[in-house]
Amino acid sequence: MRKVAAKHIQWLEKELPVLEVEGVISPETTKGIKSYYAEKTASGMHWAIVAFAVLGSLLIGSGIILLFAHNWDELDRPTRAVLSFCPVVIGAILSFTALAKNGGVALRESAGIFHSLAVGASIALIGQTYHLPSDTPAFLLTWTLLVSPLMFLLRSTGAYLFYLALACGWSGVAQETYGQAAGFWLLMVPAMVRLMQLLRKNLHAPETLLSLWGILFTLCISTGIVFERTVPGLWIVAYSALLSGTGLLGIHLYGGRDGWSNPAKTFGIVGVVMLAYIFTWSDAWGGIGWNHVRSGWYHREWGVWLDGGITFVFVTGWVAAAVKAVRRNSLETVTLAVFPLITILCFLLGSSGKDVETVNALIFNGFMLFLGVMYIVLGCRNTKLRQLNGGMAVLSLLLVTRFFDEEFGFLARGIVFIVLGASFLTVNLVMARRKKQLEVVS
Amino acid sequence: MKKFSLIVLGILIVAQLAVPFSMIKSRENILRNGELYRFKTRPIDPADPFQGRYVRLVFESDYIECSEEEESELTYKQPVYAIMGTDSDGYARFADWNLEQPESGAYLKTHYRRKYTVRHPESKKRIFKGIRIHVPFNRFYMAESKAPRAEVLARDATRNTNCWANVRILNGNAVIEDVFAEGQSLRDLAAQEGK
Repeated sequence: MRKVAAKHIQWLEKELPVLEVEGVISPETTKGIKSYYAEKTASGMHWAIVAFAVLGSLLIGSGIILLFAHNWDELDRPTRAVLSFCPVVIGAILSFTALAKNGGVALRESAGIFHSLAVGASIALIGQTYHLPSDTPAFLLTWTLLVSPLMFLLRSTGAYLFYLALACGWSGVAQETYGQAAGFWLLMVPAMVRLMQLLRKNLHAPETLLSLWGILFTLCISTGIVFERTVPGLWIVAYSALLSGTGLLGIHLYGGRDGWSNPAKTFGIVGVVMLAYIFTWSDAWGGIGWNHVRSGWYHREWGVWLDGGITFVFVTGWVAAAVKAVRRNSLETVTLAVFPLITILCFLLGSSGKDVETVNALIFNGFMLFLGVMYIVLGCRNTKLRQLNGGMAVLSLLLVTRFFDEEFGFLARGIVFIVLGASFLTVNLVMARRKKQLEVVS
Repeated sequence: MKKFSLIVLGILIVAQLAVPFSMIKSRENILRNGELYRFKTRPIDPADPFQGRYVRLVFESDYIECSEEEESELTYKQPVYAIMGTDSDGYARFADWNLEQPESGAYLKTHYRRKYTVRHPESKKRIFKGIRIHVPFNRFYMAESKAPRAEVLARDATRNTNCWANVRILNGNAVIEDVFAEGQSLRDLAAQEGK
């Protein structure tokens, strides 16, 4: 495959419509050229160079913060005040150069990360010079807001991930300090806009995949943090809709791709398995629903509306993704789509005030068992070791946990462990042979 | 498009510089025009990953005496304005509190933390005294080599004599000017001991 620099392809993409309008080339030729460069060429950019540039800017930025943290109290206050502007000025020069010279990925990523770090360093240095008290949420929020435009201006994935990390960090400290962090959802707006831009431009580009991974992790962590939990247990519905919807969206966007190439599907399936596992414990179903509504410093009264609104958005997203992605002949998509239905049903059962904790836990033990068997069957049918081992892992997790849970005797436990291990080895061996035979035949 | 991006970047850089500038300006204003108060303190030495080593100041006077009835009006972390006063030795104390911003006099913008109670020496029962408030200046940053030394010196000083922080207060905001132990600035004292 030929290697062509990304910036040359960008230039060509801008020129082609102009040439088409001028009548120099036909629309078919434009299409042909575009598909040639998309399929037959690879970016000339060396990933090692980008990685070193990113690492370098990260180290230099962190080094500057540490240098300032040493606290040069020999310097007088005005000198230190002037010095506190230096990191931002250096970051600004770097970003300006990257933008004015239409710099490559390495320069843009370095500038994005260094500039993001520099803003924090400047604010921290003023805090040090004037002995400001610790106000971490205000510090993180100012930092987050001041770096937010960098992901758009520099088109830097590093700046994007940095922004997400700051927003996620802010949600944690704000929830702890103020008792609520509803502002997190507003901080997610620019991140979602940027992600939409990337998805529209190129679904499979590394920066799109990396950004998708980043936002999924952030959403998954911060949803749990910023949920007011005024209605106990509403998180069960919200998380199941979020993770199931994410998995279905991945299937809709990326089709049959798996693993790193399909972040949403991987994230959704792993998330659903983890959630289903949590639900196999009866403790998860105790004291939930509207009969247990609480309010105070950590559980605001208006949390009913906020949590309800977030849950509604996630459920709507799940329904939309299910409509787009579900295929009747695909057991995996149907299972993913049905998962929130079961959780909603169990949540309503739990909310009814009846003693159904054990019933709900049993339902999810059954669901986990079904998940494990389903992936083993799918793995065997499609000759996919990843699916097969995933199914075995789910099944083992359930059996081993229930084993400790119910306090069976040593003999029974020993036998089940040996049987599980032996089936793992046998099935993998058989599968590997089958795969080899198929390769020889083809 | 590139020109537009450059303009937006320019605006962003101005905003990024304006934030530190306004922070510096407001603190310099307090240091130049604020009223000076001496707070009795007890320092401890921790570290912050971004801002470096500092001496955490624990203040003896972080409460306001009031009746239980007055306290019952307050909720956890409710904003209050603490009215400044001084005791017979000239050290700062919080004389009163107000929910509305005072029109004159020195005051501090802070929030309510919890009840202030003391143990009766004989009956050992807790007696209500007033409210504890958050003191919004509790960090004194120092060079990383000096901070641990300063903590030891200040600890000795609090045992023998007095250790206090000079704090400037203006329009409800406060900035620490310096911390003193044995009548000397903690920075100078730590530097001398280090030689």
